[in-house]
Amino acid sequence: MLITRPKPIEEILSMLDMFPETSICVVGCGICARKIQTGGEAQVSMMTARLQQRGLDVLDGKIVKHACSTESWDSMVEENPALDDAGILLVMSCGAGVSLLGRISGKPVLPGLDTTSLGSALKDEVFENFCVMCGDCNVGLYAGLCPKSGCPKSQVNGPCGGSIDRDCEVEGRECIWVKIYDKLESRGMLELLDDIRPPVNHDRRL
Amino acid sequence: MGFADVLGSGKFVVTAEVSPPKGTDISGALAGAGLLQGLLDAVNVTDNQRSMMRMSPIVLCHKLGEMGFETIMHMTCRDRNRLALQSDLLAAHALGIHNILAMSGDYPTMGDQPSTKPVFDLDSVQLLQLIEKMNNGSDFQDKPLDSPTSLCAGAVANPYVRPLGPQLLKLNKKVSAKARFIQTQAVFDAAVFNEFADAARHIGIPVIAGIIPLRSAQNARFMNEKIPGVKIPDEVISQMEAAADPALEGMRIAAKTIAGIRTNCQGIHIMPIGGHGNTRRLLELCGLVD
Repeated sequence: MLITRPKPIEEILSMLDMFPETSICVVGCGICARKIQTGGEAQVSMMTARLQQRGLDVLDGKIVKHACSTESWDSMVEENPALDDAGILLVMSCGAGVSLLGRISGKPVLPGLDTTSLGSALKDEVFENFCVMCGDCNVGLYAGLCPKSGCPKSQVNGPCGGSIDRDCEVEGRECIWVKIYDKLESRGMLELLDDIRPPVNHDRRL
Repeated sequence: MGFADVLGSGKFVVTAEVSPPKGTDISGALAGAGLLQGLLDAVNVTDNQRSMMRMSPIVLCHKLGEMGFETIMHMTCRDRNRLALQSDLLAAHALGIHNILAMSGDYPTMGDQPSTKPVFDLDSVQLLQLIEKMNNGSDFQDKPLDSPTSLCAGAVANPYVRPLGPQLLKLNKKVSAKARFIQTQAVFDAAVFNEFADAARHIGIPVIAGIIPLRSAQNARFMNEKIPGVKIPDEVISQMEAAADPALEGMRIAAKTIAGIRTNCQGIHIMPIGGHGNTRRLLELCGLVD
């Protein structure tokens, strides 16, 4: 699941200034953004109303099934004709959805959200920073708890010296290294941490 | 005699920290360091400490070297990828800087450039390995260097981190990666340090304990709140609060701490707040200078 958060309305308005007198369709996404309530029905309706209140020409607000994956632009338009009628799309999905819509629609697209991490959802609980898409995954060595994403400093050989009592120095959360250590210790597998791990091979992302 | 040799001799070492300026004029930093002539085995120069943007430590280390100081250059992994780390290590070596203190570095949001991209391409263990590799004549990708480095690399540890297990895991790796010494975060509590030292007894390399002589109860509270890894006990803050001369009290507390840990470390590292005006006096209080 892609974790997104709303952009400030001022930023969105300033982007829309680039396209004066152009009709807008606000597009939400039926998967991740809907699940974490950044680009679902309520958020798209609210955005539509806010822009209309400011006198902008918003044709409609629509949710597509998956902004990041579709058969074709035509199949999206078939379900949501307003997409084709609008001069510009304000997309409330992750960056992948914005990019795909920009690629297939032939229209200018603007992002309504910021994409911050790759995470997960368990019922109503959302987990951020589960993966940084490093292209060099070895999370199995860390009891399934990725230190490259779970530690702000991406420390792969143990914790930094900034967390004194289990808390991360950066964010109000438990140090991922304490969790990794505890979990492997409880499984009797601490020796997995003995070897010095090399840095990420960024070559593999190409 | 280089710092590595001094450590090897078993001497109880004294080092102290100076910071590069936030500007182009290094005369103040050099004058501050001038107060330390004859007191130290080496002077450390910080690298954008607390993620506050300052001049690169390479220049100040070089100038201090010209003044006759043995220098230890701090190098964080926060601001440079592996290409830049290697370039700067070669540059430092060419300028006669032979001691590097490798560390991850405070996170950028702690400092005055919070929107900066945190690099952390390598961690401190991998930086130590890189230095060892360059000492053996090759770069990160095993390509030969025209001439090898001969750097003495140290690493850092925080005696306050609990639980100890994960911290010791990292410390052991730093030792495997050929750290020659360990410098610690500031110690305000001999018992906590000694517990750490007991747990780290096996590492077999010198431990240099960090010491910050407090100047006021107010700056003690500030450090507790703002500096990651610093933990000043409440009773120390109360002592500072009650003192008629807080700066002197800060030195007495530091001297008492040093006395309490002295048999468990091979040196101290002074990190003053706002200059080295009192450093000689503190060392006199501790009997570490004639």
